[in-house]
Amino acid sequence: MKRILIVISAVAFFLLAQNASAQCNAELYINRAMKELSQGFQFSKSYRIDFRGGTRKKVEYTCVFSKDTNYQINIVSKDGSAYGLIGTLYDSKRNKIVTSYYNNKFMPGWTYKCRATGIYYLSFTYKDSKSFCGAAVLGFSR
Amino acid sequence: MKKLYLGIVTLALLLGCGDNNASSDETSTTENEIEEISQQPGISDDLVKDILQAIPSPLEISTLIREVSQNYNPSVLNEASSSDNYTTNYSKAINLGIYGTDLGYANIYGKTQDAIKYLNSVRDLADGLSIGEFFDYSTMKRLADSSDNLDSLLLETTNNFNKINYHLRQQKREHLSILILTGGWVEAVYLTCLVHEQNNNQLLKEKIGEQKIVLDQILLVLDVYKSKPNFKGLIDDLTALQQVYDTIEIETVYAQPTTEEGPNGQLIVVDNTTSEVKVTNADVETITSLTKSIRNKMIR
Repeated sequence: MKRILIVISAVAFFLLAQNASAQCNAELYINRAMKELSQGFQFSKSYRIDFRGGTRKKVEYTCVFSKDTNYQINIVSKDGSAYGLIGTLYDSKRNKIVTSYYNNKFMPGWTYKCRATGIYYLSFTYKDSKSFCGAAVLGFSR
Repeated sequence: MKKLYLGIVTLALLLGCGDNNASSDETSTTENEIEEISQQPGISDDLVKDILQAIPSPLEISTLIREVSQNYNPSVLNEASSSDNYTTNYSKAINLGIYGTDLGYANIYGKTQDAIKYLNSVRDLADGLSIGEFFDYSTMKRLADSSDNLDSLLLETTNNFNKINYHLRQQKREHLSILILTGGWVEAVYLTCLVHEQNNNQLLKEKIGEQKIVLDQILLVLDVYKSKPNFKGLIDDLTALQQVYDTIEIETVYAQPTTEEGPNGQLIVVDNTTSEVKVTNADVETITSLTKSIRNKMIR
């Protein structure tokens, strides 16, 4: 009986821990990141970045970008800056275009002058951080 | 002690399962829209969500239209007063997308009174799909009252549509999400084709051609829900459009990007990879004709 109770407790703990790690209210960070969009950029998409308490190593989104359009990505992590969060953009062939971890610094994002219409991948990872939560927004301008 | 353990387990199960309850979807069904929460095999749930998230905002196209043409033409939009005509969840979702694009189009031209009319249509259909809570109409109407608030209104509208799509995905109602996105996309392509007919503009022509990528994405997701009411007809229509797009090529020449740090701490990346959309006038004419026909089946 004791063994059954231990197993049940372990399952209960796992479920509770899973739920706790799901407490990533990315909405807060989306609003903050939207406010950081530069003048002239129109908000287009928001991206929730939830590493589920560190159980996920990468969060990735697919984007369709158009040539002759400028795209801006703003990244916000739990402490309000981009610290601990790294955004990386790849083209459809997985060639790296840019990463926000630049010269050993966590940059808040980038402006990308797109000249090739196609599918792109926006990938987020973390480094030196235990917040495991944040958001990014995409803006565009012509 | 045993009671304590059972209490913990019950609590854990309640908390752990709370997120994944599939909602009762069809609250005002008038056709035989029997919902099946499970989807077709062959494409994962995560992939569906990823594709839905990837479909660009119709606002990108509307912005280009505004750049090319100074003429705001409300007569080509879906009648804002027709929202009552859409009684099935299929038609509500499709036309919510269409009205969303029309709202963005009116906004971009600074036509605040029309924007309010379309805002009402959006509210009617969103309420009909039980997703009206994502629109703060009082704030949006206040913003729409002045053209000075155009940027804020656009931001609010886009953010609300993003929230709706996210909510529908979380609720496992992705089939409504793809219908909203499809309606919005068809309306955006339709408007682009009409403006191109009048202006014969190279930018618009290329924009029409590059929709090949988006259409492929849309059809991938629609196919997952092909057994749902009305989806087959929509898929057949869009597949006919895809066949025209199959002749269009997008040629890409790769080159290394260049990155520099801007004055405000933002990175500035210039993509040196270039692409060219190989689309003919005949392609655009056929796409225009087919898009008009598809759109006419959607609206009433």
